[in-house]
Amino acid sequence: MKKNFAIVSFLLTGLLVVAVVIGIPLLHAMQLSLYKLESFISEPIWVGLDNYARILVDRDFWSAFGNGLVIACSSIALQVVLGIGIALILNQNFIGQSIARGVMILPYLLPTVVACLTIEWLLDGSYGLVKSLLASAGIPMFDWSASRLSATATIVLVSVWIWTPFVVTCVLAGMQSIPRQLYEAAKVDGAGSWHRFWHVTLPGLKPVLTVVVLLRGIWMFNKFDVVWLLTKGGPVNSTETLPVLAYRKAFQSFDVGGGAAVATISFVMLSVVILIYLKLFPLDEK
Amino acid sequence: MSDLNEMNASPAAAQSGDRAPSGKRRALMQASAAAAALGALGFPSVHAKSNVTLRFLNNETSVDSNRALRVAAAEYERKFGTKVIIDSTPIDDTFPKIQASIKAGQPYDIATIGFIAHMIILANQGALIPVTEMTKKHQWGPQILFPIKGQVWWYPYDYNLAANYYRKDLYAEKSLKIPETWEQYLSNARALTVSKDGNVDRGGCIFPIASNGASNWTSFAFLWAEGVRVMDKNWNVIVDSAENSERIGRYLDMYAEMYKTMPPNMNSASYAQLLGLFATDKVAHSAYSGRLVETIEARAPTLADKFGVFPYMDSKGNAKAVNNGYDGFVVLKSKQSEDAMKFLRWFIDNHYINWLHTAPIHFQPPRLDVYEDKRWWAHPLIEKHAQTVKAMQSWITDKKMVINSIDSDGPTPDVRPAKVFESYVFPEMLQNKVLKGMSNAECVKAAGEKIRQVITA
Repeated sequence: MKKNFAIVSFLLTGLLVVAVVIGIPLLHAMQLSLYKLESFISEPIWVGLDNYARILVDRDFWSAFGNGLVIACSSIALQVVLGIGIALILNQNFIGQSIARGVMILPYLLPTVVACLTIEWLLDGSYGLVKSLLASAGIPMFDWSASRLSATATIVLVSVWIWTPFVVTCVLAGMQSIPRQLYEAAKVDGAGSWHRFWHVTLPGLKPVLTVVVLLRGIWMFNKFDVVWLLTKGGPVNSTETLPVLAYRKAFQSFDVGGGAAVATISFVMLSVVILIYLKLFPLDEK
Repeated sequence: MSDLNEMNASPAAAQSGDRAPSGKRRALMQASAAAAALGALGFPSVHAKSNVTLRFLNNETSVDSNRALRVAAAEYERKFGTKVIIDSTPIDDTFPKIQASIKAGQPYDIATIGFIAHMIILANQGALIPVTEMTKKHQWGPQILFPIKGQVWWYPYDYNLAANYYRKDLYAEKSLKIPETWEQYLSNARALTVSKDGNVDRGGCIFPIASNGASNWTSFAFLWAEGVRVMDKNWNVIVDSAENSERIGRYLDMYAEMYKTMPPNMNSASYAQLLGLFATDKVAHSAYSGRLVETIEARAPTLADKFGVFPYMDSKGNAKAVNNGYDGFVVLKSKQSEDAMKFLRWFIDNHYINWLHTAPIHFQPPRLDVYEDKRWWAHPLIEKHAQTVKAMQSWITDKKMVINSIDSDGPTPDVRPAKVFESYVFPEMLQNKVLKGMSNAECVKAAGEKIRQVITA
């Protein structure tokens, strides 16, 4: 009875926190999306679902959705591949292994704004280190912010730099839980290192990778800071993602209802994707 | 005692020289006490705690501006007992903070505002107290008071007019003249461009194309000089009218050529690059307000006597323009609005010049009487750069000078131009031209469509 009480109290506390910090703002955003208002102090005018109808035919919305998918998918793919590779190395016994593991986590501790400013300075066309290095090789500097490809690549690069250590840490922890006997049995059966990785390591990491990809997917799709700090969605909105579009509309373009509608649609889309993902890769799989 | 009595005597008695007869000492003392009491009633707040605390949201975050406000607040509290708390915040956070304070039922009492649309929204929502009575006392420059419904809702303290700063020494080296036409400007920019290792090492000019305020502020006054307007007097979007399309097309062609003379990364350039590249000899022309002069003085003093300034020009050399920029104080509607108005009146009467001196060239006075005030001219930087300052003054007194900006375009102050500003339609037009290689007609068409879309949202 006492144990049940503790469980219920923890659950209620958790639900209360979620309701206050997520539920109420979410409902408020949904409510705002049904009104036309220029600012948070303007007189709201009821427009029903008009904001949704307007947003769903807006080219900028679908472009932002596509940009978000490209940035999220490419970042996650690189983070996972690099994360597994680095974790495999760090899982070996070598001198300085502990130090290497410690150093690996450092980018994860770096504030996003610091990482973005560092990249901007490195790539600066007038004073940047990359410009100097290229110039010494007789190669002219490229303008990273001038095309969709280079601007997107820069965003992905920074995201990979900052977040790969998170994947490394999770995968490394997952590797510790794979029984050594499985590797030994595979060796006895004549499996080489590639086969051991493919048939033992990867299946053993599946639960960890399922969670990592899910979390990274949610975080990358909702990524605001890196995009805002590096490109603000440019050039010509080619790196604008849904969170940036929602912010722009609600806080800059005097379209609070439109911004709230973008945020709500984005939330619904992400929820649907998560449900499908969890159906395909259930977390409680034995 | 008699000295004390003399001190407490009414001003009228003191002036008339009347002396009380010595036999009526008690009556005199009583009269003195009564006079003192009446005096205290007449000036109840002097040297007394008023129990009023005003909150002032300041977005001028420089050390000098902050200090000036704090000094004024301390003096005000000493004199009148009203505490004024100065809360400083970056300019981008001002409006969200003001909105949050209003929604929370504790509005700031006074604030500085740097974007006209925010003042308009606050005024339209009845969140401001008009300051018409205060602004009526002086003559003002053009395009600065932005009255709504016959009332003025802010007390402007500066213009930040964007104009072209150039390197006089480089002009002399190449025997160049101040340009009067776009062709001449382009020719000068080309002549001053230095390339090294395949890169532009010193740009001929810099006009950003990034979707940010810096581009909106500095890259389009050529259009105002050329006669382009975004809205007509009935709020119709005319940016893509036949006449304007042709004008904008001419500018886009000129811009595409200027772009080749600019340093790299124009699509991520902002205020910092406009200042920094000029101050570090990485560009020969830069567009900015007087802040550039202050930056040069602080960071690159060797350039302090090597720059000049000229306004934007049209393609044929018939018109001149500067891009408008401004800041002002607003008094918000609160339980303490009367006290806030009192403070602002006192601040304007006693500290306006001090405040302007905290960014002596950047805070270009919008009040015309300030240009006659010796105290204002006495600041060392204003004295030193008197020629530049007089040029800046001429922009607001010259009736032919075009003063416009994206956010203040249109027949009356309104949020619609601000929506155009914040949707970055104009920078995108330049991006479409130089990054995507779209034709002039496509660029203008896309801009017109987007403007119509954002102003109806």
